[in-house]
Amino acid sequence: MTIPKTEHIICAVRGGRESRQTVTHAIDLAVEHNARLTFFHVMDAEFLGAATPMLSSIRTVYQQLHEMGEFALLILCDRAERRGVTQVDCLVREGNIIKQLFQFALETHAEIMVMGRPVRSPGNNVFKPAEFDTFVAELEAETGLKIISVQPKV
Amino acid sequence: MNASMRRISIIAALLGIILVLSRPATETQAQENTAPLVVGVIRDRQFQPVEGAIVSLIAVGEGEPISAVISQANGRFALPLIQTSPQGDQENSQGITPIEIDPGAALDVHIERAHFADSLIPLSEQEIELLRNGQTVALPDITLPRVVNIAFWIASAIFIIVLVMIATGKLHNTLAALVGVAVIYAISYLGHPLNENLYIFDFERSLSFIDWNVIFLIMGMMIIIAVVENTGIFQWLAFTAYRISGGRMILLLPILMLITGIASAFLDNVTTMLLMTPISVQIALSLGISPLVLLIPEVMASNVVGISTLIGTPTNILIGSYANISFNDFLINLTPGVILAFIGLVLYSLYIYRKDMASARDISPSLLELLAERARITEPGNLKKAGLVGAMMLLLFMFGERFHMIPAVTALIGATALLVWVRPDIEEMIEAVDWTTLVFFMSLFIVIGAIQEVGMISLIAEMIGRLVGDNLVLAMLAIIWLSALLSMVVANIPFTAAMLPVVGFLTLTVPGAESKVLFFCLSVGSAMGGNGSLIGASANMVTSGISERAGHPITYGYFFKKGFPALLITVGLATIWLLIRFL
Repeated sequence: MTIPKTEHIICAVRGGRESRQTVTHAIDLAVEHNARLTFFHVMDAEFLGAATPMLSSIRTVYQQLHEMGEFALLILCDRAERRGVTQVDCLVREGNIIKQLFQFALETHAEIMVMGRPVRSPGNNVFKPAEFDTFVAELEAETGLKIISVQPKV
Repeated sequence: MNASMRRISIIAALLGIILVLSRPATETQAQENTAPLVVGVIRDRQFQPVEGAIVSLIAVGEGEPISAVISQANGRFALPLIQTSPQGDQENSQGITPIEIDPGAALDVHIERAHFADSLIPLSEQEIELLRNGQTVALPDITLPRVVNIAFWIASAIFIIVLVMIATGKLHNTLAALVGVAVIYAISYLGHPLNENLYIFDFERSLSFIDWNVIFLIMGMMIIIAVVENTGIFQWLAFTAYRISGGRMILLLPILMLITGIASAFLDNVTTMLLMTPISVQIALSLGISPLVLLIPEVMASNVVGISTLIGTPTNILIGSYANISFNDFLINLTPGVILAFIGLVLYSLYIYRKDMASARDISPSLLELLAERARITEPGNLKKAGLVGAMMLLLFMFGERFHMIPAVTALIGATALLVWVRPDIEEMIEAVDWTTLVFFMSLFIVIGAIQEVGMISLIAEMIGRLVGDNLVLAMLAIIWLSALLSMVVANIPFTAAMLPVVGFLTLTVPGAESKVLFFCLSVGSAMGGNGSLIGASANMVTSGISERAGHPITYGYFFKKGFPALLITVGLATIWLLIRFL
């Protein structure tokens, strides 16, 4: 039996301190397999509606948020390149995080997706721990991706 | 047409206008000369005029009133003693027929108004004699006492529920206020036939509480912002701040705070932070520091400096319109205090983030190049036009009051000029007007109008008035610090709108407050108080939301730890300024 070669790894991150271990793990894997590494970020801007952004057009703000997310990922790309990852890129999408993760996993032919496990943190987590395990199982079953979840240190 | 003909035409036109304008006055005079009148002014206990009171003259022992009128918006009434013909006309062939009053008759003036106790004023023999001789009787100012009935409690409960809904985010601001309005109407119209004490006010009366100056000013500013925000000016300014500082945090942080503050003085704070936060996060990430080191001081600067102009915050727009405080009044009376508070805030921010700032590293050339690329002005032509229109508007805001031009008119002229000049897609511009926010303001005015109508505001005003007595310093301290502390938990727009009549009452009763100092105190407290907690200002929430998307959440505890001392420092310094300026 031959183990399929890992050629493409996705690292889905939000950025920030909690993502450090996840990013490090993804870079380690990419170096180990000499694989392409894609940092993936979903910008969910639903909070803007709740915050009542007075006197401002949402369109411009979305563009700014997109650029901000992309910039954070470009810093991670820079970090990966310094570690010796030869093929590294990044992608930012807007919308519901779970839907976008599913969609991107189906579109890409990556073999591995590295994600951080939800931890008790000051911000609002997308997943509760139990929901996360169910999500991972569903994602693996539907897309054939191998999901590696990393426990962040906080 | 030669010059002399033109002059004659102008004079003729002016004469025509004068003749037209003078005609109603002549008619009024004729009436006043021929009909005996009972005139007076009705006020509440806060010296505010009472509109819509039914004033009637009753002969003691008779059932039907002899004559009746409704008090005007200024609380005045003029009760004519005129015979009413069966057709309802008040004139006979000779003009006007005064009512004949029997010798020895006793007359009472009866005043009736929802949410007030009925009042009966007996006329003296001398007054009745004057009326019999066809003369006018001027009554001393009449103070109507309030009554606390079920409508009072219902309107107050609705207001509190709306506030709670907004504070907890259970309902969108606009929806919460709109639900409040709907319940008020439902109770007034459907409950009134069942119990007359359930009446709050009718539709027509409710509309009188909407401040259209505020609505149109905000609408005009929305259109201007929609043009400016697409130009990339904020991104360029933030990156320029980095370049000027050379990456030295001790310079970068104050410059970014200054840019945010100045932008907030002319644009809404929420818009400013929506546009400043993403680029600030990118600069912070490039420097290898937590974005909160830049974001927290920036949002606090926005809350502090935003109040230096009339158009900087919705609360100032509300205050300026209610108290007739001009753009220049804000600049003269508030800006020096704001500068003082800002200096205090900068020093405080440099102190609390000194360790984080020390860990900043140089930006790598590739990231610097990327930042520079993103920080370019995207629409230089439109920016130039917006700058010119903005400068023209600034002049109109400053000098327009000489021509009685209210700020809303300036904003609308500026917005229209910009639309015509820039020629953007009109559909896009209409979309840029946040109608939800405008509906929020209109609904809020009605909800607050309801508690004003039933006397809740009067009650609060009376309590605070009793507390501060004749002491101006005490009144200033009470308004500033009460507003600041309450703004930490209560949304500052509804809070300020509700406080306006209260401050208006204190301005009339506290000696020395006629300088409108208490309104400036309200402005300082309600805006700078927003720094005390994460939910204290919408700009804080927006900043926190964006920061969290970048993986750097701002917790309630963190914001309180950094923000509350900032509140004490900035409000303290602004208080010192106001005391120096007005005492």
